[in-house]
Amino acid sequence: MNVLDVKDVAVKYGDLQALWGISFSVKKGQLVALIGANGAGKTTTLKSICGLVPLAGGEIKHNGSVISGQPVHKVVDLGITLVPEGRQLFSKMTVEENLLVGAYLKRTHSKRAATLKHVYTVFPRLEERRNQTAETLSGGEQQMVAIGRALMQDPQVIMFDEPSLGLAPLMVKEVFNVIQELHRQGLTIFLVEQNVHQTLKVADYCYVMENGRIVGEGTGKQLEADESIREAYLGF
Amino acid sequence: MELLPQALMDGILLGGIYITIAIAFSLTYGVMHIIDFAVGEWIMFGAFAGYYLNKWTGLDPFLLLPFVFLIFALIGYLIQPVIHRVLSGNKGNPLLMGLVFTFGLAIMFQGIALTVFGFYSNSTPSVFSEGSFFIEKFGFFLTISSIRLAGLIYALAITAALHYLLKKTNFGLGVRALALNRDSAGLMGVNGKQTASLVYGLYVGVSAMTGVLIGCILSVSAQMGTEYTIFAFFVVVLAGMGYLAGVPWAALLLGMVQSIFLIYFNPGHTLLAVFAILYIILLISPRGLFGRGV
Repeated sequence: MNVLDVKDVAVKYGDLQALWGISFSVKKGQLVALIGANGAGKTTTLKSICGLVPLAGGEIKHNGSVISGQPVHKVVDLGITLVPEGRQLFSKMTVEENLLVGAYLKRTHSKRAATLKHVYTVFPRLEERRNQTAETLSGGEQQMVAIGRALMQDPQVIMFDEPSLGLAPLMVKEVFNVIQELHRQGLTIFLVEQNVHQTLKVADYCYVMENGRIVGEGTGKQLEADESIREAYLGF
Repeated sequence: MELLPQALMDGILLGGIYITIAIAFSLTYGVMHIIDFAVGEWIMFGAFAGYYLNKWTGLDPFLLLPFVFLIFALIGYLIQPVIHRVLSGNKGNPLLMGLVFTFGLAIMFQGIALTVFGFYSNSTPSVFSEGSFFIEKFGFFLTISSIRLAGLIYALAITAALHYLLKKTNFGLGVRALALNRDSAGLMGVNGKQTASLVYGLYVGVSAMTGVLIGCILSVSAQMGTEYTIFAFFVVVLAGMGYLAGVPWAALLLGMVQSIFLIYFNPGHTLLAVFAILYIILLISPRGLFGRGV
C-alpha cells in the first residue's frame, strides 16, 4: 500500500505554473527523496500534499483515499506531517509550548505527556532549554524543535523540507542521523533536499525535479550511475 | 494635591474597564489581523441589551452578563466568516478592506441604533448603583462608588479568565500559535477558520458584556460607541499592536490621563490630551510603550 500517491498534480500561482502534472508515490516504511535545484517546485509539491496550496489539476491519495481538496488541519489529522523549510517555529513561544502545539489534535492530546518525554529523550538539549523562547535558540536547536514538534503529532509519514538548510556541517550530519534513525524505527519519510550527496546515500528511492516536472527517478546508485542525470542535476 | 489620590483611584477604576475592551480587541487583531472599527458599536449594542433586558426582566445587570455574553458571542461567531471573506478576497489590499468594511459596519450599526433607540441617553440601574465607600487616611479623603468597584472586579475577573484561556488551555495554545504563524498552526492541526470565528465571538461577547457595565456606570446612548472605538485603538496602539501583555498598563494609563484631566483641567480637552500623549509616545517608541508591538 502506498502511503502517498501523487498523480498528475499541477499547481498555479496566478499566471505562473509551478507544477506541470507531476506523479510519484511513497510506499510505507520507505525513505523517499525529492531533489532538485532552487525553484524546481519542491516546496510547492510539499505544500500541495498538505493542502496549503490548491491544486490546478490531478489528485493526491493517502492510503488509497483522496486527500486533495481537504484543508490543512484535516490532512494533518491523518498523520501526514510537514517539517517546513526554515523551521517556522512559533518564535515567541517557549520550546515546550512549541512542542505541545504539536499535540494540539484530539488524536494526540491525551498522550502528550508521554510523547513529550519521548521527544526529550531523543533531544536532551531541548529539555535543558524547555523554558527559553524559540527565537533565542541556534539554528540547529530550532531544527530539533521542528522535528520534535513533528514527532509530537504521532505521524505516519514525515515530510522534511530542506532540513539541512543553513546549518553548520556538524549539525547537518546530526539531522541526517536523526532522519535515518526515524526511518529505522519504521516511519515513512519523504525528504526534500538540495544536499544531493547525503540524500542519495540515505534514500531508498529518489525523484529528480526540474522546472516543475519530474525528470528522473531511481535508487541512489542508479541515479549516480546515470551519466546524463548526474551531469545535469546532481552536479558531480 | 489632596485631589491626586482620588484622581489616581478614579483612573484605576476607569482603566479597568478599558482593559477588558482592549484585550479582546488586541486578541482579535492578533488572530485575524483586523482592526475592528466596530468595537464601540458592539459595546453600544451590549449596553442597550443590558438596559432593555433589565427593564423587561427586572434582573440586575450583573446577573444578565452571562446571557448577554452568549447572545453576542453567537452573533460574532456567525458574522466572522463574512469579515474573513472580505479580508481574504483577492481584490485590493486586505488590511485596507478590513478597515473600510468594519468602519462601514460601525456607521451602519450607529444608524440602526439611532433609528431604533432614538437620541436619548439613559443608564441601567443596578443594586450597586447607590452605595459608595469612603476612606480617610493620612489626611486624604477617597470616595469609591460601589458600581465602579464592581466594574473593576469584573474587569479583573475577565482579564484573569482570558489569561487562563490563552496560557493554560489547549484552545488558547492554538489561538496563540495561529497569531504567531498561520501556516505553521495549520500544520499542527489548528483549524484556522473555526478558531478565528471563536475568537471573534469571544471578543464580541466580552465587548457587549463590558457595554452592559458601562451602561450602569456611565450611560447608554446610540452614539456612545465612537468614543470607545477611539479608546480601544489608543490602548492597543500604545501597548504595541498585538502585544497583549502591554494592554493592562496602557489601559490604566488611559484611565489616569482621563481622570486627571477631568479633575485638574477642562474635561472637554481629554481627547486632545489622549492623542497628544499617543503621538509623543509613538514618536519616541514607534512599536508602543514596551517596544514589543508589530
